[in-house]
Amino acid sequence: MTTIESINNWFIQNFGAITIEQVKSWFVYDPDEKLLFNTGLFLGLFLVFYFVYGFLRKTFYLRLTYVILFSLFFYYKSSGIYFLLLLLSSVVDYGLSQIIYKESRDGVKKLYLVISVILNLALLGYFKYMNFLIVTYNDMFSGNFALHNVFLPVGISFYTFQSMSYIIEIYREEIKPTKNYIEYLFFVSFFPQLVAGPIVRAKDFLPQIYQKLNLTKQDVNNALFLIIGGLIKKTVISNYISVNFVDRVFDTPLSYTSFENLMASYGYAIQIYCDFSGYSDMAIGIALLLGFKLPANFRTPYKSTSITDFWRRWHISLSTWLKDFLYISIGGNRSGSFAGYLFPSLFFFGLLLWGMSCYNESIIPLIIAGSSILVFSLSFLLSSKIKQTLVTNFNLFTTMLLGGLWHGAGAQFIVWGALHGLALAVHKIFMEFFTSKKDKRPNFLWRFFSILITFHFVVFCWIFFRARDFETALQVINNIGQLTFEPELWKTIVLGYKNVFGLMLFGYVWHFLPETFTNGMKSVFDKTPLLIKAIILGFVYWIVYATAVAGSQPFIYFQF
Amino acid sequence: MNTKSYFFQSFAIVALALVAFIGFKQILPDKIFSESKLDSKNILIDSLLLESVAEDSVAIDDDSVAANERALNKQKIVFDQTEEGIEFPAETFENYKGYQYLISFYEKLYQLEKNPQSKVRIAYYGDSMTDGDLIVQDVRTNYQERFGGKGVGFVPITSESAASRGSVKSTYSKNWKTQSYLNVKKPTSPFGINGHVFFANDKANLTWVQYEAGLSKYSTSLDNATLFYGRSSKVGKVNFIIGKDTLKKSLSPNNLVNTLKVSSGSVKAFKANFVQADSIPIYGFNFDNGSGVHVDNFSQRGNSGLPISMFNADVMRAFNNSLKYDLIILHYGTNVLNYGTKNYSWYEKGMTKTVNKIKESFPGVSILIVSTADKSTKYDLEMKTDSAVVPLMKAQKHYALETHAGFVNLYTLMGGDGSMIKWVDETPAKANKDYTHFNQRGAKAIGNLLYGQLNKGYEEYKVLRQKRDAEGTKPKPVKKARPDSVSVTKDSV
Repeated sequence: MTTIESINNWFIQNFGAITIEQVKSWFVYDPDEKLLFNTGLFLGLFLVFYFVYGFLRKTFYLRLTYVILFSLFFYYKSSGIYFLLLLLSSVVDYGLSQIIYKESRDGVKKLYLVISVILNLALLGYFKYMNFLIVTYNDMFSGNFALHNVFLPVGISFYTFQSMSYIIEIYREEIKPTKNYIEYLFFVSFFPQLVAGPIVRAKDFLPQIYQKLNLTKQDVNNALFLIIGGLIKKTVISNYISVNFVDRVFDTPLSYTSFENLMASYGYAIQIYCDFSGYSDMAIGIALLLGFKLPANFRTPYKSTSITDFWRRWHISLSTWLKDFLYISIGGNRSGSFAGYLFPSLFFFGLLLWGMSCYNESIIPLIIAGSSILVFSLSFLLSSKIKQTLVTNFNLFTTMLLGGLWHGAGAQFIVWGALHGLALAVHKIFMEFFTSKKDKRPNFLWRFFSILITFHFVVFCWIFFRARDFETALQVINNIGQLTFEPELWKTIVLGYKNVFGLMLFGYVWHFLPETFTNGMKSVFDKTPLLIKAIILGFVYWIVYATAVAGSQPFIYFQF
Repeated sequence: MNTKSYFFQSFAIVALALVAFIGFKQILPDKIFSESKLDSKNILIDSLLLESVAEDSVAIDDDSVAANERALNKQKIVFDQTEEGIEFPAETFENYKGYQYLISFYEKLYQLEKNPQSKVRIAYYGDSMTDGDLIVQDVRTNYQERFGGKGVGFVPITSESAASRGSVKSTYSKNWKTQSYLNVKKPTSPFGINGHVFFANDKANLTWVQYEAGLSKYSTSLDNATLFYGRSSKVGKVNFIIGKDTLKKSLSPNNLVNTLKVSSGSVKAFKANFVQADSIPIYGFNFDNGSGVHVDNFSQRGNSGLPISMFNADVMRAFNNSLKYDLIILHYGTNVLNYGTKNYSWYEKGMTKTVNKIKESFPGVSILIVSTADKSTKYDLEMKTDSAVVPLMKAQKHYALETHAGFVNLYTLMGGDGSMIKWVDETPAKANKDYTHFNQRGAKAIGNLLYGQLNKGYEEYKVLRQKRDAEGTKPKPVKKARPDSVSVTKDSV
């Protein structure tokens, strides 16, 4: 008896008493407590799930159904009743894809494809962009439409893109449809990548469903390494610096010194990378534990030597999706299309209007508008193949504008996309003039400055991405512009926020470590015995826990 | 290569890691990134506050505090009639607002309503909550909307929050020498009305300040710009540049507080170049149109309110002679929440001194205490209302009552327990992620709530006044308004 009692006491001491209420809260949707990979609840649920999964590894439909049920539960925990939306959209998409596959007439096929794309985009559009459109309309035509009280279902941008890839690939006859709905639902609802990517392509994923499920020691090593890295990036670095520093500065940039604004911009760059890539890594790792290989989503993007390079390393699953399904659909580098010309023209026209409307107060907006149009025009006028470069740049610009908008409904995301689009065009023409000699590795200094410039351009664009609105972004930029060299003041600030700055430094050093070093770490990790791996993982759990309970840094204003 | 299925090893690792985690939790500390004590010399916080905290060694046990509190909450506060024969209904300590003590202010508002040419002036002292004219500009707009009046009031020369202020834009040269009541005990010359004194001592470079009207509804121009400066043995010169004109004026610092009109009428912007003005204490500029309500924002980051007790009453009275204040608002508390103490008797004592200094400096003025707002802190994994908020708010209410000041309970006004979390999480958000400060939107809401309570008192006052006039009661002989025996309850301290 005493042993049971003592176990019970020990349990209560470590986990707290468990009440019915608590157990209920584990299974009921709570908008404030989303089921993220870095929560204790997910770990507990996953352990139970994974244990049974191991026994089901030799079955097929039973295993698929089991994973689907867990995925739907997972989605219900994140978005409540909207898991029905996921089911509904999957039924419709599956039905349409069957029709497209069986239909032999090209015209009819295309019709169904268009219907399906419109349905998916309408779904995304309603939930994500409805209010943005209403606000924009009201502002422009002083309309009076009431806003809709729209809940944004978690991950809707990801799973609609994923099901679109399935249908388009079937239309392009790149894949065969799944044998039945269960298999399709498994693909769409697979919980590791359901809410935040990576956006898995049907042609990469579907073949894996049919393979015999296998998990090698190497897979598990890779998975654990990814999960450990992801946990540290997401919960330690990203969460801590955002709450304790970056968010505050971006809330009221003018209340802080230029140096703090600059550091917050650098801080946000590492924060968003750690947040996004950390979560992706955890997703890839968890999928790998289940025996599924998802493609890498980030390859140390801030090491890029050009903006073109950056987009091959940042959120790869999104950029390849946009390339394959948007950029190529509107003509790619071959031909222009209505859509390809429409969006850039609208954007530049809008920019010009903004410049003219601000003319009375300041001429700068007009200069910005004029010069960006000039730069964009020069990017193809200077090219030796004007016509081809023109369509390429217009299509690329469209892709970046819409890609920007995909990240969120707001003018600042469009500006962010436009800046990247413009930079891609400029880089292209730059490459045409200064083609690096083949087979010759650029010298160290050249590389160093390329990385430095690319990185700072990306950080500059992030300011628009992060700022609440356009005006706040300009405040941050203006404030940084007034930076003067005051090492004493900088030292004070750095010491005042030493945890935050320490973590930022750790994040950047980790990011810029040579690949050979990380590979070395990985191979050491691979060789450690099972028990040590468990202890390492356990230690990382503890770090996550201890960071999560760390009180936020009290508010400080510096004296100078 | 090992092709055998590795599922159970994989499961074992994840499960064993959980065991390891529990082990680590037992032996390792609870938190990393502990909140290390910062070197206070680098942080903007007032020195009087630090001293008071250090001195505070009076310990009282919680039970007696709780018992006092219960007694206090039930205590009826009965007001006596003022000499004008007005008596607000009795209140409980719990819901104390103290409209009775704002009667002289309300009477001035009433006079203004009858005669739009007269004026009413409010000084709003605050901490970083009112930086950049947040909250204050909304209170100002509300008053000017209803009672008339234009202009942002008194603006100091420099301020660390000048850049974030939208109601008036000010820029200044970097060579101003500033002394602040926050961290200077014995200033070279007395502090001005906003607790600062500025000197243009640089002989090599030009010392200047420039003002431009902001975008606030009732402050789109700078009206009757007037320079305030103090006493000095030397004379100086100042050049005002308005558009293309330069006005050369001289400073004759004979009195404790001197004024110099830049121009009558209104301008959009001007620049003041101080030449040969070293050792003359410069205080700031006043902008008002001469009638209606004017509200001055005297915010100072890191201030607890205690430094006001160091004001030089003679200098303040000299300021009051030209500015004529009717209401002084003291909005503090944010900076005294973080000292691990829930016993605020030391702060009550200090702030009582502050209020008394205000009374000495501005004879007959009404005083309003605004309590701390809600503020959240992380307890374990959860954000909750900081445990110091309620004790501080109660202490503030207590000294408001004791010193015969009106009281605005910002904590309950914004929603009470846990409200800051809501304000931060709401879309669109009304407060910042530090769970302490409001943003523009939130500040506007707070400004409206504050004005709302003040105005409710005014409306009640008008009803009482009418009743008095109808009944024709004669004003009673002079008798001080006094709450009923409340002050005795703190004896155990």
